[in-house]
Amino acid sequence: MVSLYRWLLYLYPAAYRCEYGEEMMGVYREAEEERNNATALQRSAFFLREIAGLVRGALQERWWSTFGSNFSTPFSTGRFAMRSEFRFPKSAPMLMTIILAGIALAIEKARTIEAAVDGHAEPSLFKGVVIIFVGAMAAAVLVWSVLFLLRRSGMHRLGEISAQEAPHDIEN
Amino acid sequence: MKELPLTEPVFLILLSLAGQPRHGYSILKDVDDMSRGRVKLSTGTLYGALRRLLAGRWIERFKEDDRPRGRQAYRLTALGRRNMQLEVSRLKRLALVANLRVARKES
Repeated sequence: MVSLYRWLLYLYPAAYRCEYGEEMMGVYREAEEERNNATALQRSAFFLREIAGLVRGALQERWWSTFGSNFSTPFSTGRFAMRSEFRFPKSAPMLMTIILAGIALAIEKARTIEAAVDGHAEPSLFKGVVIIFVGAMAAAVLVWSVLFLLRRSGMHRLGEISAQEAPHDIEN
Repeated sequence: MKELPLTEPVFLILLSLAGQPRHGYSILKDVDDMSRGRVKLSTGTLYGALRRLLAGRWIERFKEDDRPRGRQAYRLTALGRRNMQLEVSRLKRLALVANLRVARKES
């Protein structure tokens, strides 16, 4: 899992990796060591949480490095303030991302084993898989951005519904 | 103040640093303890928040004398502490209103 964590760190911008990569690896190793005696379910929950946090954080950093930190995002990672807005269902894309990462890793491992058995090395699929993965995420972000700019995203639709409800006063 | 109210992860991170300077893993553990296991931050979430807090000068890096390599501690700045106090005041007012309403309902 340390290898997978290190691999997922490459999703972050290079400047971010230089500044925080080593620190994040250190914290992850400490957290993983602490769970050596945990149950399989607890360890699985920990790994999934870490992977989802990395992917979400990387998308956020990529977004901010492209559009600037003043541009609102649906991701709460690193945002200071709460906002009354619909939370775009993140579970589906996060789960798909995790599954894709698992498949990519399994394919790479299988090819490594095959190369060892056959005795000849084949070109690594790593770069191709990373390109496809990043391309798919970029396409998803682009589509969502277009919807957001057209004010047709889920956030705005439910925001319109919420605005129709009677306002509640906190204090009399 | 436009940065308030704070998200729960950010609030808990600031609360963790309010007592003493801490490095990343210590913050994760402290947040877990304070929330009694309800809030479990991932390293991605933690460092995303730390980066934004550093950029906003709410926290700063803290040099420990016996710092192991790769371990960096952070502490609140005066600005971060002031914003933290504002958030705590906001939550106190909200809790007061909530208590009044619940007491009124029960009576």
